[in-house]
Amino acid sequence: MVINMNKKVLISFITVIFLLLLLFVVSVNTGSIKVTYTELLKGLFVEYNENVETIKDLRFPRIIIAMLTGGALAVSGVLFQSVLKNPLADPGIIGISSAAAFVSTFIVGFLPQLFFLSPLFPFIGGIEACVLVYTLSYKGGFSPLRIILVGVAVNAVFTGLSSALTTMSGQNYEGAAAIVNANISMKTWEDVRLLALYVVIGLVFSLFMAKGCNIMALEDKTIRGLGVNVTRLRVLISGAAVLLASITTAVAGTISFIGLIVPHIGRLLVGNNHKLLLPFSAALGALIMLGADTAGRVIAYPYEISPAVIMSVIGGPFFIILLKRSDKTYGS
Amino acid sequence: MEVKNVEFAYDCEKVLKGISFKVESEKITTIIGANGCGKSTLFNVMTKNLKPQRGSVTLNGESIEKIPIKKFARLVSIVHQYNTAPSDISVEVLVGYGRLAYKKAFKNDKYENEKYVTRALEATGITNIRKKKISELSGGQRQRVWIAMALAQNTKVLFLDEPTTYLDIKYQIEILRLIKKLNEEYKITIVMVLHDINQAVYYSDNIIAMKDGEIIGQGKAKEIITGELIYETYGVRLDVEEIGNKKFVITV
Repeated sequence: MVINMNKKVLISFITVIFLLLLLFVVSVNTGSIKVTYTELLKGLFVEYNENVETIKDLRFPRIIIAMLTGGALAVSGVLFQSVLKNPLADPGIIGISSAAAFVSTFIVGFLPQLFFLSPLFPFIGGIEACVLVYTLSYKGGFSPLRIILVGVAVNAVFTGLSSALTTMSGQNYEGAAAIVNANISMKTWEDVRLLALYVVIGLVFSLFMAKGCNIMALEDKTIRGLGVNVTRLRVLISGAAVLLASITTAVAGTISFIGLIVPHIGRLLVGNNHKLLLPFSAALGALIMLGADTAGRVIAYPYEISPAVIMSVIGGPFFIILLKRSDKTYGS
Repeated sequence: MEVKNVEFAYDCEKVLKGISFKVESEKITTIIGANGCGKSTLFNVMTKNLKPQRGSVTLNGESIEKIPIKKFARLVSIVHQYNTAPSDISVEVLVGYGRLAYKKAFKNDKYENEKYVTRALEATGITNIRKKKISELSGGQRQRVWIAMALAQNTKVLFLDEPTTYLDIKYQIEILRLIKKLNEEYKITIVMVLHDINQAVYYSDNIIAMKDGEIIGQGKAKEIITGELIYETYGVRLDVEEIGNKKFVITV
């Protein structure tokens, strides 16, 4: 299948990438330390500058993490919406992120010696939540509403467990709380490397799944009739979605709604073809998440508002609007 | 294709109670019956969507349970009653999905794929709308697209589950004529479920009448339809008249 890039699609891509670059530049210089862009460039590439070093150590990791997180969660959202045939699915809403956060918190609080294996545990947590949501909501097919209801319940349980753990594990409280509250202000280059590795793996794998995601839009019976193993396809796509959502949660905490809002806007702008929708959502997710993080640093300065909080405040009403329109957004 | 002593139950409720019949090759066989008689379940058992608890369905002597689904998709194509697709997918891309069963890991025969897609579009008379989006089509055109997708699979057997539901009478007749044409010109064996008795009798070679999970009548469409059978199948007394060489059930 040849990708047909029409004008609207092309403009959407260019605009988002341009805005992302612009926001990146603005974000680098937003906060208590300010330098001129000449100083910044010099400091980065030519000479030592203390302010620039601080920016490099504190602000850059945070900006990159915000972008990776946004892109990963948006793609994870697209994948979940595809396999669950439900435009309202979001790794945050259906409990994948909170399960991953719970397992991370558990490891931080009780088995800190295993922390070096940290990407593995949130992934297991995410898989667990995913299996729960699938098995509890499958009844001869996936009813969109049932998935959301089961997801909300799963989410509530894991969020509750995380809070309980956080309160119980006194000494490690701060590290654990950062995961629960999605605080990305104290991130290091180490976190960036960890996140980048898995996010890139997840994104590349997702792109290979693009055609599979397109096929998922047909009825399961029809897909099977075409000679495609639906269950295997569903497991593969879900696996990529869980990987992206859980690794992000492990590093940046639970962030809801971005996986819901971004794919929706993406569909309006570039259509339902996942070969376009997946890369576009990655870019738009990065843009929106970076926007939320940068705004959070500015709005109540010198205090910071977590991007998760901003996403919830914006995402909640958006979710309700989508829910009300949900009959129209899918189907032939 | 042959169905042998097939039994199927959802939980404790037996839906198919020992069904046996043979599907005649290169003919149109239609399954009729009242709502809840088990015809949809039978359809799903015959299309590998449900596994029978007892008995078997064989294709060319081989149990279909043992045929991998990819291979099965090259032997049998299925048009289900209810279908969804993304609103902005084009007709030719959707019909192209019919070639998924022939997909190989590294080498795909593009020429071959294109040939069958084109043939499927021509056979169903939708070549002129091949670039259009699904959302721009009428119900009748959409049904043709689904049939074209099945045809692109290039199979000897085609299953259709109530292909005329949701359609106006004009489109119903168009679809049924199309099915008849596919059977006659391409020698495709057709098995379908139909609600309308007269359409079933008129367009089919063989009829299977079901009631409560059992077959209560099977044979040539012209011979088998009687007032008695209609009463047994649907539980309502209707007159059967012969006009010319054809039998018609007066459904009022």
